[in-house]
Amino acid sequence: MDKSASELQQRVLAMISRGVADRTTEVDFNQLARDVFAFQYERCAVYRAYCERRKQTPQSVMHWKEIPATPTSAFKDFALTCFPVAEAVAEFHTSGTTRDMAGKHFLATRELYHAAIGPNFAAHLLPDYARLPMMVLVPSPEEAPHSSLSHMMGVVMEEFGADDSAYYVDGGQLLLEKLVRDLCEAQWAHQPVFLLGTAFAFVHLFDHLQQQNLKFEMAEGSRAMETGGFKGRSREVPKADLYALFERGLGIPTTCIVSEYGMTELSTQFYDGTLRAGKRTDWKVVPPWARVLVIDPNTGREAAENERGLIRIFDLANLWSMMSVQTEDLGIARVSDLGVTEFEVLGRAAGAEVRGCSLNAENIVVE
Amino acid sequence: MSATVETIREAVSRTREARERVQQHRTTDAVIAVLTQTAKNWLDPNSRWRKQAVEYTPRHTGFSEAMVQEAIDLTFGAINYESLGELLDRELGNRRVLDEFCMRGRVQSRAIPPRLLVHFLAGNVPMPGIVSICCGLLLRTANLVKVSPRDPVFPSLFIESVREVDAELADCAASTDWSRGELALTQTALEDADGVIAYGDDHTISALRQLAGQQARFLGYGHKLSFGVVAREAMTEENLPQLAQAAAFDASVYDQLGCLSPHVYYVEERGQLGPRKFAAALADAMAAYQARVPHGQLSVEEAAQVAKFRSGYEFRAASDKRFVVWNSLESNDWTVIYDDSPSFIPSCLNRTIFVKPTDGYKRVLDAIQKIASNVSTVGVAPMHERAAGFAGDLARMGVHRVCPIGQMQRPPLSWHHDGRANLADLVSWTDLG
Repeated sequence: MDKSASELQQRVLAMISRGVADRTTEVDFNQLARDVFAFQYERCAVYRAYCERRKQTPQSVMHWKEIPATPTSAFKDFALTCFPVAEAVAEFHTSGTTRDMAGKHFLATRELYHAAIGPNFAAHLLPDYARLPMMVLVPSPEEAPHSSLSHMMGVVMEEFGADDSAYYVDGGQLLLEKLVRDLCEAQWAHQPVFLLGTAFAFVHLFDHLQQQNLKFEMAEGSRAMETGGFKGRSREVPKADLYALFERGLGIPTTCIVSEYGMTELSTQFYDGTLRAGKRTDWKVVPPWARVLVIDPNTGREAAENERGLIRIFDLANLWSMMSVQTEDLGIARVSDLGVTEFEVLGRAAGAEVRGCSLNAENIVVE
Repeated sequence: MSATVETIREAVSRTREARERVQQHRTTDAVIAVLTQTAKNWLDPNSRWRKQAVEYTPRHTGFSEAMVQEAIDLTFGAINYESLGELLDRELGNRRVLDEFCMRGRVQSRAIPPRLLVHFLAGNVPMPGIVSICCGLLLRTANLVKVSPRDPVFPSLFIESVREVDAELADCAASTDWSRGELALTQTALEDADGVIAYGDDHTISALRQLAGQQARFLGYGHKLSFGVVAREAMTEENLPQLAQAAAFDASVYDQLGCLSPHVYYVEERGQLGPRKFAAALADAMAAYQARVPHGQLSVEEAAQVAKFRSGYEFRAASDKRFVVWNSLESNDWTVIYDDSPSFIPSCLNRTIFVKPTDGYKRVLDAIQKIASNVSTVGVAPMHERAAGFAGDLARMGVHRVCPIGQMQRPPLSWHHDGRANLADLVSWTDLG
């Protein structure tokens, strides 16, 4: 790593290390974001070409909001890195939400990636500093080395999990019996637990509990982190219904469930403030080293507060890949009482209703 | 207002009574004259029907006012004395078979229309629904029209405009609306139907086919897609501006949401000008059409679809020379994507059109093999002998219409919609002699 890159990474690390509660000034963020943009513009030829096409360069961009965003589909078409891709220490692949190939996120170093995970996770899921057995309903990092979610679970389990934390997916199968057994034991021992998994894994668990006529009352302090959509892997359950199932099947109240929004293409995760505030909220908190814009897809400009649009993320921890990422998720944003932007995810921008009588890209499968 | 079992039954009995009167008092020729006059009224630039359609349909259809004007011209421009007569003569042999026994071969025959024809309209493109109602009126039968939530106004306005010319004939058609989820209402509508015309996706069509009685004649028109092919002979400096204009028209009308709207233009290489030149000229023509007939307002979901599609290709095009993207600035109004790969990729629509190079007709056939059964129309330029051979190959693959580029959105009234007859499949025959 050359001096300028190393210095830039140090600055991003310093911002992250000030913690989630830090109110990094807009001026600080803007300066660092513009420097990261200049760095990525210089190092990534493909991104530079896109910026030039849009006539946005480090000379012209004065504000972080103007930094051109890389569409997530571009991670499928190109290796988007600001370092020689052969030197990557890890690579994460998107799962098959679409029929085409996977998008890839290459890591130049684990340092920055891990730095962005820990404090943010702890602030939103362990505000009480609890050390709980983590019951993780995704494959281990060993089983799924290219899953960013598994990787993140590995990091948080190592850092925050009790010794008897475990993964409950093996060979792609959810280990329901082991999970039920361990839940049983924890219930008897009045041991609070921390369940982490995807929405569809939880649906499988609740379907199983219902079939077996099982119901748990997990000890107070138990909590859950739920992430991701259903991606056709289980029946779709509306979020409110899913959370009610936590209450009914496990005795975990909805005020102890946090929803995570993360993407393979990003380094930073976003959590709602439910556990922190002690009351149910769907608004996601943006940590100081990131920014979120909701873009009106009709104009390409920032949507008005509480108006639906496409979520665009600016993540400084993505120093070595693409800091500004245009997602395919719809959401809304607002400024909270504390004066910071928070956002809500409303789901993928797919399956718009057919207005006419033509088949379109969404409802015809060519392959 | 949503229909109820009572209002549907009441509408059916009203149209049936009207049918009895009309069958006694009107000849087929008289009905043709009424529909001709009605269409003429719509085509008048100051027509009150036109004004009402322009005022009330954009909020449902999502089309701009200028697009509604264009839709009126396309729809009613196709309806006149000659085209209506040709439709009947072509499908039934002779339009008078609906009025009396006529000599057909060795015996005399008379065409007997269904007694109650139920129309299930879909989508926001007005022409199929209007033509469907015209067919029902030509047959002088009772018509119950379930309008589409995407366009509840146009069919009703049309029936009212017929009333202005001939109230008794207009009484033969009643438009109404209910939610697709209301199975009981759909069943009520179908309980006495002996003819059904249904538009919609495959799922809707097959559900309605199940619900319609065994004895009912059923015409189902599913969602389809279209594309165009430009042969090298058409790619001359002299021809290009006009060709691009015609291609932009076909790709822009109804904001590309109709089943006759092309997703891609294949352009043959080795012409005087190459496929990229066609794409650039098409982009200019798309911009010109946009200036004259603006794209309608998109929902957030639709706009997101287009934005995602477009930005993905824009990113590629910035550094991958196999792609070029032209697009309207600061909006999603139109996008032309040149893509070197010949494979067929469906567009996200809303005036997003692909241009792809091809080695020739044979390669196009290879590329569309997997979607051939979903194809409605293939536009070609020019219509020369080689194109006729290509049309033969397309016909064997199950494509039902090949026409010049620029005419894709103007099917004649007498076309074989999805390869089928429009009226002939609805009537039965009585022979004499």
